[in-house]
Amino acid sequence: MSESELTAGVRIEPGRKYGFFTDTTLCIGCKACEVACKEWNLLPADNIGLTGNSYDNTGALSATTWRHVRFVEHVEGATVMQPFQSNWLMMSDVCKHCDRAGCLEACPTGALFRTEFGTVVVQQDICNGCGYCVPACPFGVVELDLDDGKAHKCTLCYDRLKGGFEPACAKACPTNSIQFGPLEDLHDRARRRVESLHAAGVDSAYVYGDSAADGGLGTTGGVGDLRAFFLLTDRPEVYNLPAAPSLPSTRMMPGLVRGLAAMAGIALATAALFMRRSA
Amino acid sequence: METRRSPYGRHAVDVLGSVPADSPPPTYYGRPALKPTEWRWLITTYLFVGGLAGAAQVIAGVVDLLGYRRDRSLVSAGRYVALGGALVSPLLLIADLKTPTRWYNMLRVIRPTSPMSIGSWTLLAFGSSSGLAAAAQLAADAFGLDRARRLARWFGVPAAVSGGVLATYTGSLLSATSTPFWAVAYRWLPALFGTSGTATATALLSLVLDRLPVARGSRRRLERLALVASCLELALTAGMDLRLRRERVRAPLDEPRPGAAYRFGALGLGVLAPLVVHGLQALTGRDLRMMSRLASLGALAGGYTQRAVLVTAGKNSASRPQDYFRIAG
Repeated sequence: MSESELTAGVRIEPGRKYGFFTDTTLCIGCKACEVACKEWNLLPADNIGLTGNSYDNTGALSATTWRHVRFVEHVEGATVMQPFQSNWLMMSDVCKHCDRAGCLEACPTGALFRTEFGTVVVQQDICNGCGYCVPACPFGVVELDLDDGKAHKCTLCYDRLKGGFEPACAKACPTNSIQFGPLEDLHDRARRRVESLHAAGVDSAYVYGDSAADGGLGTTGGVGDLRAFFLLTDRPEVYNLPAAPSLPSTRMMPGLVRGLAAMAGIALATAALFMRRSA
Repeated sequence: METRRSPYGRHAVDVLGSVPADSPPPTYYGRPALKPTEWRWLITTYLFVGGLAGAAQVIAGVVDLLGYRRDRSLVSAGRYVALGGALVSPLLLIADLKTPTRWYNMLRVIRPTSPMSIGSWTLLAFGSSSGLAAAAQLAADAFGLDRARRLARWFGVPAAVSGGVLATYTGSLLSATSTPFWAVAYRWLPALFGTSGTATATALLSLVLDRLPVARGSRRRLERLALVASCLELALTAGMDLRLRRERVRAPLDEPRPGAAYRFGALGLGVLAPLVVHGLQALTGRDLRMMSRLASLGALAGGYTQRAVLVTAGKNSASRPQDYFRIAG
């Protein structure tokens, strides 16, 4: 019996899609996920200071921070007290491991690849630090580390999955806000959780990143299902997430075709001007 | 004020009452929702050099195919300029890699969804065909070998085709990202870079031919082409500007320094000055040599400024979450 069966009740088999379901209504903002991630992946501390943004002193996901807990204090303007968390929203953000991943599509070396567990990983022995994945990501996740010259992001603990271990953040989460498992199981779990929250009076709960959830309301534009998806209770932007992210590569061909048409026009103009007898 | 209604959290908004659904999207302490590119001046320079070299090869290729003896010095100059650009471009790109010793991994896969991958292969094709064409051209120019001239003409065809791609794909390279300023302009940037590349190539070539009395006619024809390129560039700039305003992501260009560089450098020097001077030459039929030299220098400086400003604007735009949420809402 592998460890993940004991800790998460999940058998890890190559060929199946795995992911995270992050239920923000259960998050207590303890940042155990951030610490567990840094410890397992041997990531250095990156900001030892205060941001002034509530308890969020991490700031953002980065090359050396692969889990990031956000804090939103909804005090001003709130007319109704939420039945949980006293109108504090907390959310542990992570790489979404998109179905159609902008970073992977942008990578010219093939360093970014889709693993046998359906996740998206940067192969550190191939990446040459061109950095094109960085502006490509619709969620601002992947980043270059200028110390080692490679791109880094969450691997969904690829090494742990290979050994039959639950990812570090999910294992460390004390409230089960971060749940690891096969994607279809997680989708079921998330839908049931939304139903039970609605029944309990939390009308605002919805799933972000599952195209089939909530009558398609959870569709995330062109990037498809997110392998790491979220249960949210306010607009996505409140959590620094785009409501409708799009796939960057869809913007390539329409422009390129027009550009080549312009160059064909230039070539024709050149031919016309240089054919004239005198000028 | 136009705002798009988010499909999410309608309930959320009603219940929490924190942010009315029709108001502009909220942000998370104004923190960026995206990461800007780490590109340095090396990439800006490549955008300029690659565009110039690609367009020079297109001009040389087309003029060579027409086969007039009078434009031979222009064809030669175009081939050598293109080769120079083809040699410098990969060096600039490799120098900007954060792990430059692994540059060869760029040729490890072909990824049709990545303009960076398409560009790497295009640059390889452009470099090798430009090298062959220039070598044959050199043999023809140095020894007067007609066979070499024919060979240069045929190598010039793949060189011109890959040159056309090289001059334009860089626009897609910017647009096929999540950076709001570039993403919104995806229909305009490749054509804009292509015409701007042509404007800078004609400027440099006419400065080169300026020293050759035999090439006076070539230079005047080239300056007509510069006029066409500048007109196209002006129209495309206007179209892109309109689109940026309509999507309300133009803010990075409204800041004082990039704004001034864009107006006076990219537009004033790069587009309007050559347009006016070459337009005057075409209308009056006179050869205004000094003015035309200055206009060419302006076109080169303006072309570089345009690339620099657009790259900077993109970097700043990625740090403006309100802009991103507006276009991804």
